[in-house]
Amino acid sequence: MKYLAIVSFFSMSLMAASPEVVQYMNELSKTAKVENSSFNGFDAVRGKEIFTSTHTGKQGKPMSCTSCHTVNLANSGKNSLTGKVIDPLSPRANPQRLTSTKEVTKWLKRNFMDVYAREGSAQEKGDVLTYIMKN
Amino acid sequence: MKTLLNLSVAAMLLAGGAFLYADDDEHEEHENHRSSRVAQPVTPQEKATVALYTKECGACHMAYQPQFLPKRSWDKTMNTLDNHFSTDATLDPADHKTIQNYLATHASKNDRMSDMKGAVALRISETPYFVREHREVTKKMVTQPEVKSFANCNACHTQATNGSYREREIRIPNYGRWE
Ligand code: HEC
Ligand code: HEC
Ligand code: HEC
Repeated sequence: MKYLAIVSFFSMSLMAASPEVVQYMNELSKTAKVENSSFNGFDAVRGKEIFTSTHTGKQGKPMSCTSCHTVNLANSGKNSLTGKVIDPLSPRANPQRLTSTKEVTKWLKRNFMDVYAREGSAQEKGDVLTYIMKN
Repeated sequence: MKTLLNLSVAAMLLAGGAFLYADDDEHEEHENHRSSRVAQPVTPQEKATVALYTKECGACHMAYQPQFLPKRSWDKTMNTLDNHFSTDATLDPADHKTIQNYLATHASKNDRMSDMKGAVALRISETPYFVREHREVTKKMVTQPEVKSFANCNACHTQATNGSYREREIRIPNYGRWE
């Protein structure tokens, strides 16, 4: 049973993110546990809330992750600051996504600033990546 | 030779601007040279640098040609990426250094183009050269949703990402050709 659970977790991860990014999420998970002892794994439902809720961002205006990426992650988005088209965020629609830890960390830092005017915690980053992987 | 030609074209552009954009047939054969104002990368390392610049500084808007601003403008931009036009455009230290060097090497050598009476321009679109070239472009053309701001060069200059800004390549959304 335990064996099966591990296998299915692994194949799911492989489908939605590269081994490099899975490894990064494992590190986030360790940090999240240190920061919050009741942490019990990443959660796509919490991730969805992070992604779709509106906050006062770095620009001092209401912003949401969906301001640029839209609510349907399989669709192209549009940078609300510049108008430039953004390719879909969903790894299913766009296999390039969640393949490089360098890209993922760079954009999570920038984009949490845009929307939350602060960096995301390890748990928030893991939750939102889990949500993106499932979409 | 090609590099040399490109560089001299860029120098002429910076000195006046007229030559590069002249639309007469006489210069047609130089098309390729004229339309690539950035010296063509030759070595694999130069190619990698241009690719890095295009990817990183072209992620939120087109990657502007370094020749539009002097070194001190680019230095200021690179030193304030954590608050880049109210967004965070920070890079990892190695990429930051490569890009800052690239911009410094290819920056405008001519401060006439960006003379701001001592102030350091962050925007190409606020330099006197730019303002002069665009004085006939109406506010409505710029603020319409398809353009948004002057920063969106390639909304009007269809070949801007290739470094070419000739009049006959201009298509203003909902207005059409400029000529
Ligand atoms: C101001 C516009 C904007 C907002 C708001 C925004 N993003 Fe992004 N995001 C971008 C751009 C631009 C990219 C890079 C686009 C590209 O690579 O084509 C990006 C890339 C990403 C990536 C990298 C994916 C990869 O592997 O290539 C992730 C993850 C991401 N965003 C998550 C988020 C999250 C989570 C939020 C909300 C906290 C958010 N974004 C809000 C503009 C935005
Ligand atoms: C995370 C998004 C983002 C990234 C990455 C980014 N920029 Fe920008 N940049 C912006 C925004 C937003 C503006 C303001 C656009 C507007 O006014 O319409 C801007 C404007 C500019 C302008 C002014 C354009 C004008 O003349 O009006 C320059 C120059 C510029 N950026 C250079 C750079 C350079 C160089 C890099 C790479 C180091 C870079 N940008 C990377 C978001 C970004
Ligand atoms: C709203 C549309 C629009 C936008 C956006 C725009 N331009 Fe222009 N640009 C024009 C028009 C129209 C002309 C021709 C003006 C004239 O001849 O009176 C022009 C002229 C120029 C010229 C001179 C070309 C020549 O043949 O002499 C240059 C160089 C130039 N633009 C660069 C830029 C850059 C760089 C940007 C972005 C930072 C930009 N433009 C953004 C419309 C635009």
